Amino acid sequence: MNKKLISAFVALSVGGAAGSALEALAQAKPDVLVKQRQAVMTLQGKYYGPMAAMAAGKAPYNAAAVQRNAGFLDNLSRMAWDGFDPSTKGEKSRALSAIFENKAKFDDAAGRLENETSRLAAVSMKGDEAAVKAQIQAVGKTCGACHQDFRSK
Amino acid sequence: MRTAIEAVVLALLLSAASAPALAQGDAKRGEYLAKAGGCLGCHTEDKKEAVAYAGGRALKTPFGTFYGPNITPHSQAGIGRWTEAEFMRAMRHGRRPDGANYFPAFPYPSFTGITDGDLRDLWAYLRTLPQSSQVSREHDLGFFYRWRFLVTIWKWFFFTPGPFVNAPGVSEAINRGAYLVQALGHCGECHTPRNFLGGPKKGRFLAGGKGPEGTDVSNLTPTGLKKWGDKDLQDFLTTGLTPDGDVPAEAMGEVIRNTTSQLTPRDLAALIAYLRSLPPLPD
Repeated sequence: MNKKLISAFVALSVGGAAGSALEALAQAKPDVLVKQRQAVMTLQGKYYGPMAAMAAGKAPYNAAAVQRNAGFLDNLSRMAWDGFDPSTKGEKSRALSAIFENKAKFDDAAGRLENETSRLAAVSMKGDEAAVKAQIQAVGKTCGACHQDFRSK
Repeated sequence: MRTAIEAVVLALLLSAASAPALAQGDAKRGEYLAKAGGCLGCHTEDKKEAVAYAGGRALKTPFGTFYGPNITPHSQAGIGRWTEAEFMRAMRHGRRPDGANYFPAFPYPSFTGITDGDLRDLWAYLRTLPQSSQVSREHDLGFFYRWRFLVTIWKWFFFTPGPFVNAPGVSEAINRGAYLVQALGHCGECHTPRNFLGGPKKGRFLAGGKGPEGTDVSNLTPTGLKKWGDKDLQDFLTTGLTPDGDVPAEAMGEVIRNTTSQLTPRDLAALIAYLRSLPPLPD
């Protein structure tokens, strides 16, 4: 057997193993998925809150803190969505069934948040305070728009 | 001679008494009242380049979709040809200048409580808006709900016209808060649940449930606010943020941006004091 073939075979089996590990992760129990996605939401609040306070003029503007928080938020904004697995439909949470009934709209709302947070991370690296504050508010609007349609009070 | 003097004095007194009533409204005050009344939300499209007060916002209700009309002073597209009296009748009695009823998507059951003086100031402010020629969109209503004359019956059941009256034995702040919440702010239009005819459930005033667009709204009576300190509420209503960094549904987010964050600290404190004074109702 030639070496290339062996390495190709190894690569395939490693890839397969990684794939099944991902699958195993996706099969977490519904109650665990809910806990995890709620943890993501909690942390988003942790990092978004101080930025929103700055944007509203309630706290002094701190560019370094915004940069850090915007980076964290940008990563967090991609983490919650696979927790909204159909298996979690019966779990107790504020998530509305519209999430599963209108998946395309939900995915769209999720995508909007990801776009706005990545834009915030990018704009926070530059020095334009007014632009950063405006973008912080744009992020908040996408949070609220999704809560409007997909979360109970 | 004596009667002549008396007549002059009487005339002076009369003119002094009637002067405030005839005076032009104060547009500057009116601008503040328009914010406190949240007029912008329904009368402005939901897009970035939208012209303020030129109408076009959709309100999707179980009865159909209502579109807020253009209320700029444009003579054709807006309300430029209206008189002050017609404006006051629209706000107080829910009637168009031609006498037809407004659908109560226009929250005149709340606005009826606005005082004459405040209505005049609002009118003065609306006259100063830049004109927009944007044509108001027709409402898109279910077959049965298109007949405006049926609103007469609705009004008979659910509408009590008349300006807000201060409750006796209640502090000035709480009365001011009540006026802001009940009349100008029209909070109950969303936070008081409605029956199948779209009439507010009186015994559930501000107790939350389903809002007009079918989404969940919060209970604003002390039951729903017991976890919130006054400072938390103030911060929430000025920044749109809960103490843990959570963000409310965008319908409220907009109300916070347009209205509650624009209130003077004193008015905001009055609003909160009034909510605290409400009878606690279960969720």
